[in-house]
Amino acid sequence: MEQFYLGLVKSWTRYGNSYLLGARNTLLISLVGTFFGCLIGFAVGVLRTLPISPKDKWQKRFLNRLLNIFLSTYVELFRGTPMIVQSVFIYYGARIAFNLSMSMWTAAFFIVSINTGAYMAETVRGGILSVDQGQTEGAKALGMNHSQTMFLVLLPQAFRNIIPQIGNNFIVNIKDTSVLSVISITDLFFVHKSVVGSLYLYFESATITMVIYLTMTTTAAWALRHLEGRLDGPQHYDLAAIDTLAQTSGLLSYKAKGEVGHD
Amino acid sequence: MSQSILKISHLQKSFGQNHVLKDLDFSVRRGNVISIIGSSGSGKSTLLRCINLLETPDSGSIIYQNKDVLKASNSEVNAYRTRVGMVFQNFNLFSHLTVLKNCTLGLTSILKIKKDEAEKRASFYLQKVEMSAFVNAKPHQLSGGQKQRVAIARALAMEPEILLFDEPTSALDPQMVGEVLAVMSQLALEGLTMLVVTHEMAFAKEVSDEIIFMKDGIIWEQGKPNQLMQNPQRPETSEFLTRFRQC
Repeated sequence: MEQFYLGLVKSWTRYGNSYLLGARNTLLISLVGTFFGCLIGFAVGVLRTLPISPKDKWQKRFLNRLLNIFLSTYVELFRGTPMIVQSVFIYYGARIAFNLSMSMWTAAFFIVSINTGAYMAETVRGGILSVDQGQTEGAKALGMNHSQTMFLVLLPQAFRNIIPQIGNNFIVNIKDTSVLSVISITDLFFVHKSVVGSLYLYFESATITMVIYLTMTTTAAWALRHLEGRLDGPQHYDLAAIDTLAQTSGLLSYKAKGEVGHD
Repeated sequence: MSQSILKISHLQKSFGQNHVLKDLDFSVRRGNVISIIGSSGSGKSTLLRCINLLETPDSGSIIYQNKDVLKASNSEVNAYRTRVGMVFQNFNLFSHLTVLKNCTLGLTSILKIKKDEAEKRASFYLQKVEMSAFVNAKPHQLSGGQKQRVAIARALAMEPEILLFDEPTSALDPQMVGEVLAVMSQLALEGLTMLVVTHEMAFAKEVSDEIIFMKDGIIWEQGKPNQLMQNPQRPETSEFLTRFRQC
């Protein structure tokens, strides 16, 4: 057991900064990837819920159909293949097939974003559909068009509903960016492998790595919970005593409403 | 005699095999309060939703300002809806916005009114429904009656020519019905044109200028409240009223 502690100390004193650098890179890629992934997800979700009625012109219906096929292909493709394979495919494939060399960082941000986007697309679509139909009717009855209804009424509520799912994706990303070590991104897992390569302290290094991952994910979960709470606001509004009209209930005659105002 | 501002003719609507509205004709005059009564499933709500185009009628016409809104473009329909407001049974307040924002959203986004002016106007109407103290509350913090009063203020803030009420008190518990009806009767006294689908017979009798009785998608009788309530011409009407008085 003492051996283990010594190993921990050794790994950390020699490579502490490398671990932290790796953790920073992991966090950076996850944050950027989740952010752009959400943007992609919202865009796809909004496009896939565009209303189409049989009264629309055939060109519009055709374009919408085409768009939907394209978007669902995107979703299925990136949801249905492992990110580790996508990384290799895109990073090396782009170089070989299109002679397009992107830096591994660009590739990393791109892969995580587009991957998260595919998952978020369905989440956002579900989020939009989950908002009560009455909200749409309320907006329409005021005279709002579809985009006003979508951006002012539906999306803000859908956003609130899918925050837990965004948190889920962020946490998954913190962990899954470890696969990017196949394209030599120096994330936390890559650092762990390098440390192990030089010190041969597998268990010790893995322990440190686990603790750092766990710290990052629990902090992220806590921050998102906090954001949810702030968006919801307090559960009650303590002003019922001020409502004079409520007191007239049951004592009402239709002609004059002021009859029972006793204050 | 005031002029008619909304004229509905030969309105038909089916949901599949279910023929809900069968050739309805009536018109609304400025300043009139019309109550629509009848048992559940008689097509009252569908009629109101058709007038607001939340449901698309199969045929017929709805003439507003000399134009048939059933033949209007999407943007014309939206403009029409700003003139013909609607209050729902389930309030449909925007649950992510405060009371004040609920009332200003339509003003700023649709009517393009500046924010401070919109807030002034919204406050005026919230005052009218006695909800001024709650401007910063979110809908989930309010009681049902309070929600409905905010919904009325939201619709009023658009300053519509006609306000449609779709069973505005049916989702409220009896204690809260009074406060909403108080607001509505005040609006009626002030001369707002209102079309009210309701089960509150006392309200219909006292407040409205005209009552329409519907059954099975047909308007059976239309007349002054006293005449229709006390001396119905149709057996269907008297049957409905008798049953209503029994329970």
